[in-house]
Amino acid sequence: MLLTDDEKRILDGKRGEIAQRCMTFLVDYGEAAGADKLIDLDGTVDLHPGSGWVGAYDIKLEEIAELARKGEGFKVPTFSDKATAPGFIVDGWENCGVLPSSDPTFHKKCLEDLQPYIDMGMVPTFSCNHYLVSSFWPSVGQHCAWVESSAVPWVNAVLGARSNFDGCFQTAYLGKVPAYDMHLTENRAATVLVRCETELKRDMDYDLFGWAVGETLGLKVPAFVGIGRPTTTQLVKMNSALNTGGQVRMYHIPGRTPEAPTLEVAFQGKKPKETISITRDDLKRVYELMNYGSSDDIDFVYLGCPHYNIEELRKVAGLLEGKKCQTRLWVMTNPPTYKVADMAGYREKIEDAGGILLSGTCPGLLNGVVMPPSGVPKVIATDAAKQDYYITGHCHPNKVQVRYGTTEDCVDAAVTGKWKGEWR
Amino acid sequence: MNKQANKIILKGRKVIGGIAQGEALVSKMPLMGWGNVDSKNGYTVERNHPLYEVPYKGKVLVFTEPRGSGGFVGYGRSRLFGTNPAAFLYRKGNNLTVFAAMVMNVPTVTDFDQDPTEVIETGDYVIVNGDRGIVEVIKKTR
Repeated sequence: MLLTDDEKRILDGKRGEIAQRCMTFLVDYGEAAGADKLIDLDGTVDLHPGSGWVGAYDIKLEEIAELARKGEGFKVPTFSDKATAPGFIVDGWENCGVLPSSDPTFHKKCLEDLQPYIDMGMVPTFSCNHYLVSSFWPSVGQHCAWVESSAVPWVNAVLGARSNFDGCFQTAYLGKVPAYDMHLTENRAATVLVRCETELKRDMDYDLFGWAVGETLGLKVPAFVGIGRPTTTQLVKMNSALNTGGQVRMYHIPGRTPEAPTLEVAFQGKKPKETISITRDDLKRVYELMNYGSSDDIDFVYLGCPHYNIEELRKVAGLLEGKKCQTRLWVMTNPPTYKVADMAGYREKIEDAGGILLSGTCPGLLNGVVMPPSGVPKVIATDAAKQDYYITGHCHPNKVQVRYGTTEDCVDAAVTGKWKGEWR
Repeated sequence: MNKQANKIILKGRKVIGGIAQGEALVSKMPLMGWGNVDSKNGYTVERNHPLYEVPYKGKVLVFTEPRGSGGFVGYGRSRLFGTNPAAFLYRKGNNLTVFAAMVMNVPTVTDFDQDPTEVIETGDYVIVNGDRGIVEVIKKTR
């Protein structure tokens, strides 16, 4: 890789040992990825605080704390994805009943461990969709380093900024990333035309559509025709499924997303390499894939993957009003939205019905430990393909069944204890 | 194609250098990490996956693409438990495969002149030269 004089000085240790190790990581990463240079970030970083990601290259917590004490900070605005300390819940942990999450000493220790990141400038959004609450977005064309399945298509496709899946301490501290893949204009062109031949109406339809496309396309960049005018909820669900059922991190909706004023521009003037159609049968096939198991006796209902936005919380609070849950119900959001939901009275409505409103984590991150005192459920109901498809792995070797459907199906299951959802 | 009928050479791009060899374990389905990889036991626990609970320890793990979360690095973390593959070959990747390879630190090659999941079958013997990006495949005898 070709480095600037300044980058060479950092690699030679002239800016301290931590900067040197971060640069070594970026150079090794860039060379392994086939990049020929680094690029300066001018957008934002989204990182999982507290996580070791790339083994021997990781910067340890004590080292980060030392940098924070010296007054050092991140080079670009940096936001927090979910903290990865197993068991850490930001809000609602007192009532969750599972260990170690509900232990005050454990909670305090987790917060202490996160403080050095916050001292260095990381905004404590603690969410898989920080982009819904960050109050600060990168603009079109800015270079970013984000993580998270639903977030990476958001930054690339919805915002038109440029990011691979590499937000981490090193990229935030040096404000640089290897220049390859989504940072280069030519890699952002659509190559596949996806015609949606069924009307996407429900939020669930976008989840199923995203999965069906992701499974078919893998790493390719599609342009979508016939997907209507998705809401925020629908875009978030679609993005999450695109980048879980496959690895779609960039797409175009001609006439709607920033880099595709027209279909021709989406393909950067070239012809589509392939054209595929998504039909009602494709959505049904994914629906059946997500309904894993045959038991209708639900013992845990999970809503909030990706973290519910305020509109989804309002809807669930309304559905639960005056009802009582027969099963355990968790509704997960991000910490800023938790506070707004509390103010709006949605938390009270959910909790009056026997559910729990929480923020900042998900059952996957908790390794399925959601049943008191530290057990996994037998039959889960959820409205999110991503959580559905991972949770059976997280609970392995415990055999867990998952029922998948609309938010209404899930709330009904929480209230009645029975799964009554079916393909409609 | 090499003169020897049962020997094939693939040329690709180095991700991680070094030389390793072993029996191939091939997945035509993308691999998914995070909750769906068990680093300790060294196998995928993705339901419905053809390699569900099939150990990759010591194998040349050949697959199409990654999919899903940053927890794909779980394949790399198998190194901590000694359950890692001997080499890592994939048709197309992104930084998730790169990070997994950096943690696994075994010879890794991608961007081949042919689709490795079409050329290599489970049970073939594979010699990987990561430094040169060259993979020699000795087809299993039938």
